[in-house]
Amino acid sequence: MSVRAIAAGAALALAAGAAGSDEEIVVAFGAEPQQVDPTRSSAGVDGYFIDLFYESLLAVAPSLERVNWLAESWEVREDEDGAVRIAVRVREGVKFHNGETLSADDFAYSFERLNDPVSPTRGRLRYVERIEVHDAHSFDFVLSSPDGALEALNLVLTAIPQSYYREVGDAGVQQHPIGTGPWKFVSRKPREELVVERFEDYWNKDAMPVAKRLRIKIIPEDTTRVAAFKTGAVDWIDAVPPAQVASFEELPDTRVVSLPGPNNLFLTLNAVDPGSPFRLKAVRQAVAHAVNVDDILRYVLHGQGIRTVQLAPGTLGYDPDLAPYAYDPARARALLAEAGFPAGFNVNCYNLTTPREPYFKEVGEILFAYLNEAGIRCRIVQLEYGAWINVGRTFSRPRMDGILSTMWGQGLPGDPTDAWSGHVHSTGDGWGTYSYHADPRLDAMIEELRTTMDPDLRVELIRRIARIKHEEMAGGVPTYRPMLTLAWRSDIDFEPWPGAFWRSMRGLRGRSTVGEP
Amino acid sequence: MKRYVLRRLLQGAVAILGALLIVFVAQRLSGDPVALMLPMDAGEEEFAAMRAALGLDKPLPTQFVVFLGNALTGEFGDSYQWQAPAMQLLLERLPATLELALAGLVFALLLAVPLGVISAVRRGGVVDRAAKVFAMLGQAVPSFWIGLLLILFVAVELQWLPAFGRGTPAHLVLPAIALGWYPVAAMTRTLRSAMLDILESDYVRMERAIGLPERWIVWRYALRNALVPLVTMIGVYFANMLGGAFVIEVVFAWPGVGRTVVDAVFARDFPVVQAGVVLAAGVFVVVNLIVDLSYGFIDPRIRHG
Repeated sequence: MSVRAIAAGAALALAAGAAGSDEEIVVAFGAEPQQVDPTRSSAGVDGYFIDLFYESLLAVAPSLERVNWLAESWEVREDEDGAVRIAVRVREGVKFHNGETLSADDFAYSFERLNDPVSPTRGRLRYVERIEVHDAHSFDFVLSSPDGALEALNLVLTAIPQSYYREVGDAGVQQHPIGTGPWKFVSRKPREELVVERFEDYWNKDAMPVAKRLRIKIIPEDTTRVAAFKTGAVDWIDAVPPAQVASFEELPDTRVVSLPGPNNLFLTLNAVDPGSPFRLKAVRQAVAHAVNVDDILRYVLHGQGIRTVQLAPGTLGYDPDLAPYAYDPARARALLAEAGFPAGFNVNCYNLTTPREPYFKEVGEILFAYLNEAGIRCRIVQLEYGAWINVGRTFSRPRMDGILSTMWGQGLPGDPTDAWSGHVHSTGDGWGTYSYHADPRLDAMIEELRTTMDPDLRVELIRRIARIKHEEMAGGVPTYRPMLTLAWRSDIDFEPWPGAFWRSMRGLRGRSTVGEP
Repeated sequence: MKRYVLRRLLQGAVAILGALLIVFVAQRLSGDPVALMLPMDAGEEEFAAMRAALGLDKPLPTQFVVFLGNALTGEFGDSYQWQAPAMQLLLERLPATLELALAGLVFALLLAVPLGVISAVRRGGVVDRAAKVFAMLGQAVPSFWIGLLLILFVAVELQWLPAFGRGTPAHLVLPAIALGWYPVAAMTRTLRSAMLDILESDYVRMERAIGLPERWIVWRYALRNALVPLVTMIGVYFANMLGGAFVIEVVFAWPGVGRTVVDAVFARDFPVVQAGVVLAAGVFVVVNLIVDLSYGFIDPRIRHG
């Protein structure tokens, strides 16, 4: 009939699978960054593009180990007066895309921009008093107080070309970002695509791309992104839906890899408001016993998640000896009765409907259904992202008064310092705007963790805090860490790097063509 | 005629102003955009600073007056998300959306006109009944679902057409079908009943009596008069399709206005949403004006004083 006729006619005019050539690789992302300026970015998704153009002092290798990148070396020093500085030696011979040479001054400028009033992330460097440049290739971070998380945040500073930034301003940077990374900006159509090309003068010859061009398409709808890959229109996709991972593994000439994401999901319980049942430890423990996280991972997420007791494996201070609370509804009911709630109680349960992680909304609903079974009767409040993030913030109104299905993330491999400052420490430190718990003992330990820079001491402290958190169910009930699945054609040489949560194209070489050595 | 057009344009301006006022207030009821712009670790102080930078700390009436003043000079402010002029952001994408809506409309008409006429001429016949089922299907099934099915079967299984994006005419086919199927039912039924009325009218009987060929009567005389109610619908449906395109654009990763505005709503990107409403209302007003004026051309009996 006519639909078929139209379709068939049009098909003649078209090579349906017009994917990339040897020279060009086509990639599809499900989400689109807005910011391409690392000193103006606030959201994790911005990193997808920023990571193509820009590099920092340190990088995280596929093994999840931190490696020196634009920093040739660095060390923590303590002055006679007790002040702490981090002395950094900047790699020589690094070029920006506009041909200028990277110097220590560019990092000082990067710091200055991060501290602008309009910079959304200026709080991240609150313990850095100033940057002291010694010569073209060395500078010091001078800290006002020791800062354990600074190192964890990869020394934060990104290389941006000072003269170019000053010349073109914020709007100019948006239109044409310039960094030191392996890929150079060519063109961008927002909501459609970004085209980048290999940077011929890239300093790191070991990480030099082979493909000449990379075309990144933005396809938010899961089915469409999957179809784009299956029809051959794109060579690489992110966020394969969990339900389709198994079928992807059957596809010919396709490589499929599932990797841990940076987010840690948990249920926040209001343990501070007078009259809240969650002030009682037994009630919080009842929540932990009431939910069957393993079944959720198996049946809802198709195995695409990692059970967390307090921290996920790989995170700094992960403790393999900590065992999860067993799924035991009877025990949960007994704990409630013990706490004085033999008939259970009603509570508001806040859920996020925006798909920040696969099936996040559904998982929230199932967790709340488990709680219902145990006698914690949820009145579910469904919220889109903006309303959800607001409810979680302690200084906004309305304020979270029951249970909130939420998450924390602190990069990969992950470090809980900042996050715990936020949702475990009673007032926190920057992140403290999400805390619904108050325990002086934990407060003191988290403050100590924040200012401890020795790696071994940090691991030990994190483990001690995690044990108390676990025993007390303080700062929420951890559930799991979602995984991300990537798929690409097997003739493409690609190794996932954890930067920008595995969307980094730093591990993309190119198409392995026949006959190439 | 001139006065009529002028009056309609003035009415249109009032309509746009009304839409703006509603959106302006509704958006600000929905919450604070700053909450979405700052990272999770931002504190109260950072919130206050960002609000002041965006002028959101001023009283609502002041914000509205400032906004109206700017809007009159075509200045809608910069997008909070994109740091680019909001209206320019949308105008760049408007051609893609208009192209999609037009293609959807053409698809709908290509089906609705023959189906409507044949259903009327062969009332109760196989074509009439099949047309009814086909058209109802389009009305009953949500367009995004049709879109997904088309992608799965036509693009993935048959590999006939591309699954997403904009570029060649082939890229337009699937989204146009997904978008254009919905109004087919209403259009077919409208045309059918208009045709039925006309085919029983005196002048058609007269034409038959003088021995004009039935094909001429149906396609040249009856259809032309039956088109008047359909043209009215086209105006409404074209505007609806611009709205429906918002959903289809997401499904087919079509780089149009819709996706941008929908994302802006979720991000509480006020300037983009406001510019989007002005644009949508403007298109609506213009399309309706064109429809009204076109009556005169289709049916010379209709004149505007």
